[in-house]
Amino acid sequence: MVTPVSVLRMPKGPDPNSRGFDPKSPRFIALCRPSIPTSAVSDADAEQLQKEQHARSVLRERFLRCVLSMTNKNVRFHMHERVKVEATFGASDIDVLNFQVSDLHTPIGVQKEALIRSQDVISFTFDI
Amino acid sequence: MQCRWPLLGPLRWITYVNKHVKVKAGKDEVLWGWLLTVDPVSASLVLMDFKEDGGASVQVVMGHAVEEVQIQQEADEETTDRLQASFLPPKTCGLDPEDLRKRRGVIQSWLEKNRVPVEEEDDKLRVAGVLTIRAPYGPEDCSSSNQIILDRIQRLIQNLIPVDP
Repeated sequence: MVTPVSVLRMPKGPDPNSRGFDPKSPRFIALCRPSIPTSAVSDADAEQLQKEQHARSVLRERFLRCVLSMTNKNVRFHMHERVKVEATFGASDIDVLNFQVSDLHTPIGVQKEALIRSQDVISFTFDI
Repeated sequence: MQCRWPLLGPLRWITYVNKHVKVKAGKDEVLWGWLLTVDPVSASLVLMDFKEDGGASVQVVMGHAVEEVQIQQEADEETTDRLQASFLPPKTCGLDPEDLRKRRGVIQSWLEKNRVPVEEEDDKLRVAGVLTIRAPYGPEDCSSSNQIILDRIQRLIQNLIPVDP
């Protein structure tokens, strides 16, 4: 039975909901990447926009079901600098900016609960 | 140098769905798989690989890490069906209406016994006007926007000794 290591607190990026952070600052953009916007209204007619919204909702629903099927499964994260870690998936936030995981196996020990920034992840994989 | 992938938009992304693709990500990672979907919020790709034993492995590539996406081939009908069926919503209840009615009654009287205000609404149960329980009335079938009530009712139903074998 692996003893969990004590909690490590990494510096947290700016909270998109709090005041005081300039949304145009490079730090904010790097750490609180906003969702991808819809195409500019000027070059899209109503029918095109409707098609785009339909495609958007179909894609998003499939993605959400995929994330739903990941809960409590063993997930392997591939991060920058060829770091590979394994954890039990908990949840993702709505903008897919953070992943909540349990039992994160890191090179320095097992973190009982952890929040992984999606910016740090290149890909992750699991079996169904 | 940021790839244009996150900027393509849903109409372009959807053309890649159900195709076998090769994805270059990060500095030197290359992944292959059937594209299930692209998340419009993060441009992340969901790739599926079928294994010999019938199972499958799923890889999700974050949108910000994508360098290049190449279509290798289209899916045939069998593969498309298999992909569509991957993450379908849970199967609708298989119990017949009579059993469901009985179970609904059991849950309703259990809740009333615990002094919880509950009403029947078609084939659903409505608790305190904020929570809905649909068939087959298990803890996972409760839905509400109130976290605390949801938790309480779920625990309550869980504590009920199961009636059916």
